[in-house]
Amino acid sequence: MPVIVIAPIAAFTIALSSVRTRRSSANLAMIGVVTSMLATLLVGWGLAKRTTPFLASYQYINLPVAFTGPVNFQGFGIDIVLRVDHVTVVALFVVELCLAGALGWHQVMGRSEPGAARFHALVSLLLFGSVGVLVSWDLAEMLAFWGIAGTATYLLLAHRWGSDLAAARARIALVLPFVTDLSLLCGVAWLYARYGVQNLTTLLPILHTNPGWTVRSLVVASILLFIGLAGRLALWPLQSWLTQTSVTAPPAALAMAQATWSVVAIVVMYRVMPVFVASNTQTLQACLYACAVAAVVAPLLSLAGNEPRRAITLLGSGLTAVGAAIVIYGFLVPNATFAIAGVACIFAAAPARAGALLAVSAIAGAMRTDDMAEMGDAWNRMRASALALGLAVGVLALSAVGAMAFALSSRSRLGVALGEAALVIALGALRIFPGVAIGPLRRRRAFEPDRVREAPPPSLGWPYWLALGGAALLVASFIRGWLDFLDGGKHPAPSVTTYVLWAAVVVVGFAIVTLPYVRDKDGALHLSAVAGAWARMAFNTGWRTVDRFLVVPVAAIAVHVDRWIPDGDERVGGAVEASGRLATSGTRLPALPVAIVLAIVLTVVVGLIAPGVFR
Amino acid sequence: MILLNFLAASPSPSPATVPGAGIFTSPLLLSLSIWVPVAVALAVAVMPNPRGRYDVLMKQIAFFANLGLLFILFIAYSQFQSFLPTMQYEEKVPWLTVIGASYHLGVDGPGMTMLMLSGLIGIASVLASLGIRERVRSYFCLLLLTQATINGAIVARDMFVLVLFWASAAIPLAILILGWGGPRRQPAAWRMLAYWGLGTAALAVAAMTLYAVTGGSSFDMDVVLKASITPRIQLVIGLLVLVAAATRLPVFPLHSWFRDAMSEAPVGVAVVVAGSATRLGAYLLLRTLVAAEPAAAQLLSPLIAALAALTVGYAALAALRTADLRHAAAYLALIPGGVTMLGIAAVSPIGIAGAVLSLFAGGLAAALIVGVAATLSERAQSRNLQVLGGLAPRMPTLTWLFIIAALAVLGVPLMATFASELMTFFGAFKTQPIGAFAVAAGLALAAVAFAMLLRRVLFGAPNPDAPGVSDASLGETWYLAILAGGLLWVGLFPGGPKLPGTDAPLFDPGLVNVMSAGISDIASPYTGPSPGGTTP
Repeated sequence: MPVIVIAPIAAFTIALSSVRTRRSSANLAMIGVVTSMLATLLVGWGLAKRTTPFLASYQYINLPVAFTGPVNFQGFGIDIVLRVDHVTVVALFVVELCLAGALGWHQVMGRSEPGAARFHALVSLLLFGSVGVLVSWDLAEMLAFWGIAGTATYLLLAHRWGSDLAAARARIALVLPFVTDLSLLCGVAWLYARYGVQNLTTLLPILHTNPGWTVRSLVVASILLFIGLAGRLALWPLQSWLTQTSVTAPPAALAMAQATWSVVAIVVMYRVMPVFVASNTQTLQACLYACAVAAVVAPLLSLAGNEPRRAITLLGSGLTAVGAAIVIYGFLVPNATFAIAGVACIFAAAPARAGALLAVSAIAGAMRTDDMAEMGDAWNRMRASALALGLAVGVLALSAVGAMAFALSSRSRLGVALGEAALVIALGALRIFPGVAIGPLRRRRAFEPDRVREAPPPSLGWPYWLALGGAALLVASFIRGWLDFLDGGKHPAPSVTTYVLWAAVVVVGFAIVTLPYVRDKDGALHLSAVAGAWARMAFNTGWRTVDRFLVVPVAAIAVHVDRWIPDGDERVGGAVEASGRLATSGTRLPALPVAIVLAIVLTVVVGLIAPGVFR
Repeated sequence: MILLNFLAASPSPSPATVPGAGIFTSPLLLSLSIWVPVAVALAVAVMPNPRGRYDVLMKQIAFFANLGLLFILFIAYSQFQSFLPTMQYEEKVPWLTVIGASYHLGVDGPGMTMLMLSGLIGIASVLASLGIRERVRSYFCLLLLTQATINGAIVARDMFVLVLFWASAAIPLAILILGWGGPRRQPAAWRMLAYWGLGTAALAVAAMTLYAVTGGSSFDMDVVLKASITPRIQLVIGLLVLVAAATRLPVFPLHSWFRDAMSEAPVGVAVVVAGSATRLGAYLLLRTLVAAEPAAAQLLSPLIAALAALTVGYAALAALRTADLRHAAAYLALIPGGVTMLGIAAVSPIGIAGAVLSLFAGGLAAALIVGVAATLSERAQSRNLQVLGGLAPRMPTLTWLFIIAALAVLGVPLMATFASELMTFFGAFKTQPIGAFAVAAGLALAAVAFAMLLRRVLFGAPNPDAPGVSDASLGETWYLAILAGGLLWVGLFPGGPKLPGTDAPLFDPGLVNVMSAGISDIASPYTGPSPGGTTP
């Protein structure tokens, strides 16, 4: 089992120490991923016939800090607890699959990217971090791996050194996830401060029994944890670290970041949900509403604007929100068993998301534009890529169907909200295919449509296989036995009608989008562009307001303080110098008269201050 | 006579827990850490050096003296008994018997941690100073004296000796800035002297007060810090110590000397100041307030937490607005100090442990960010953020070191600062939740500042009008790598590397194991019941 974690870090270390060329670094990173994947499959094989997880534990820090007081707080320890259960093994496989696919694609399509050794070393680090999070059962250990994966993600998204636009956009990829990661850290710290333990095996049973626990403390912890997880799940409005870098980051990096983090964060959310449940119903409901709103708003935003990678990113964000909502709802409803269906939905969506991003990046690269209004005819000119894109967006649109069938009634309010989200996701996902694949590819300045060719053959298979992997996981998410395998419980099978109903929502979405795009593609895309311009304008106005009323005044205060303190120092220095000059000039005065005057002054002062004067 | 007393002193305890332990014992281990640099400085001072012929030799002497000192400190570190809560390697010789002052040295876990930090910073500062061309002899003499005074302040167990070393650290540093600093060196040096003078005065008054209220017979810390004092007097002493610590660490609003000193001092001096000299402030607070005056510590903890939050938030905001790379680095170097202060403000066992680890990790992180910014601005021939741009492809080594420094200041995993930040927050959320949230918000602002810096200086498009740039030289790479390596080593192996399958340590007993000696003793007054209300 430790090989799953060791393989990527070994690849990273070797890459750092001795590998310089593009090919060797790429092969090394791929070896790390494949070794990790083989170890995962081996562990999965071992797990197939048992229900208890594999467990290995190593001491990292063990520090006695007190000999008295509550026992939990007398020492501080972080254990490297590696725990692999059924959900973990599938999550590991999905992450490794996505990274392998993106790496394979990048080996061919990323040849012109600078800093190949750096890129591939960071991929190994990302794999190490994400695998570490997935197998962690100690919250401090999880935070450490989480931070490592976060650092690798930022450096991958900011990979294009020397480009002003990429550097400017990458700022948000550092700041926003760091803020949400801090929230996660604060949540874990808050829990530790109340319970003195961070191992989930020890923590979860004492949530309501530890001396001094309060509902309020659990509510605070739940909110902090939720913000931390929502940031990495890229739920609206915390998705901009992915949308802002969707064009400027290397496509493989973007695909890896989106696929990996959605899986990693949803698994962590599933694991820490008992903390949310232990708080109160209102907190769970608030988190559920936040997810439901995010599930609708993100895909709606994807309809505004014509950048296909941004649109896929937003759709993925919406879909992740649907999965997260189902996980939370599964814990909100008493005795419900369908929470795992939300996780299964994300498992299916992650490879499809990566595949769609890679396929559309290949098409955008060949057509030298990121605007769907200028794209077209990919079905004739780049059929393999267009086919992979179509398959991937199809899987993406359908991936919530199984989870919704298991979890939701179409008559409930949540059912209506998430159904709406599924409809908009279908609209948004399926408009990308006609937007790119059909219609004319027009001549532009310095661009000759006839020179557009299919991507090099070695790169073609990767998006296709990722989409197929997503499709396989999608089919699995419809099957009751898959959910039974994932969480080891028994799940009631939904009726066929329910499946058909939710699938029909997606089909309706497909029909709605097909009609305008087939009849008047330019008009439909123009409408999207106008909506995108409006959305951008609204965002810019909001940002300007924040800048005007918050950032500028606060920064101005800092600048004033920065000037005021040294000025004050100088004034104090001036006063000291003046007193020194006075003392120096005092030496030139006649000694006896000065002593007499001083004695008189002192006598008067002491006399006035003496208590007898005031009585 | 003093020398004879040294020789008669009892030998240091030397457990054989780590391979190599016990191969060398000396009753003068701590004295060596102070007086070896002084002796070497004197030797260098009297060495003939006609027309700078032996400048290189003097640099080599300073380097090997520091290497030897680090070796001695490593021996002390590896032989340290982490299970003993008492002072170790103690040396006690009567000195000014009339006033009750003695030459009393000793270290516990936090002290040993500080000594290792000082050793690492010492060797890094010499390597960072290899580029010094003028008055080499004087420069390295003063640098060695600085290190001796810092080590003295760390190991002093007598308030009188502590005040002496504390005060004397300012003099060589001020001369170094005045003699080898940048164009605005004069105000920078005087401002530093003024603030440090204020701090020294506050510490001296605190020491005198302690001396007076404990009977006026001894300055020994075993006497003055263990005596029972009324909470009111404790508060007065606590406030004085806080002023002394705040001027040295530094903490908002007593920080203004730091920016000027860091931007005008030569690189080696900036590394010493940011790395070890300033950590003495937090160490003082830990030793004389938290460990000795629990009532005052409890009373002052909200104030300390507020100062920590203000320092972190202000530093991040100021770094955001400045147009000078070295100024920005100086502000960002204040952040680890703020985190240390939060750990101290937590006054809980885990918070105190976090603060101690933060002394080491924060010192290295602050030295690294200041050092890398200074080296980068030297190599890029400009420190103006409007001029610098797109340096990453042209100076990859410095770029990676800058990224490591940024990650270290932010407390990202793999760095020692992560473990210290984790412990600090774990402790602070128990007793100072508002302060902890405020420091977390300040760290978020620091991330914004780093994002801006990375974009402007490194990752953006190159500025065609900027002067030519070159990557770090071998010496520069080495000194920065020592700092980064220390952070990574403790981040990866806080408990030290073990023989596979056993708990037996290899050559390193583990910094957290060593620092834990004495923490339970310091934290014993603060082990109250867990917070929270009643069961609903």
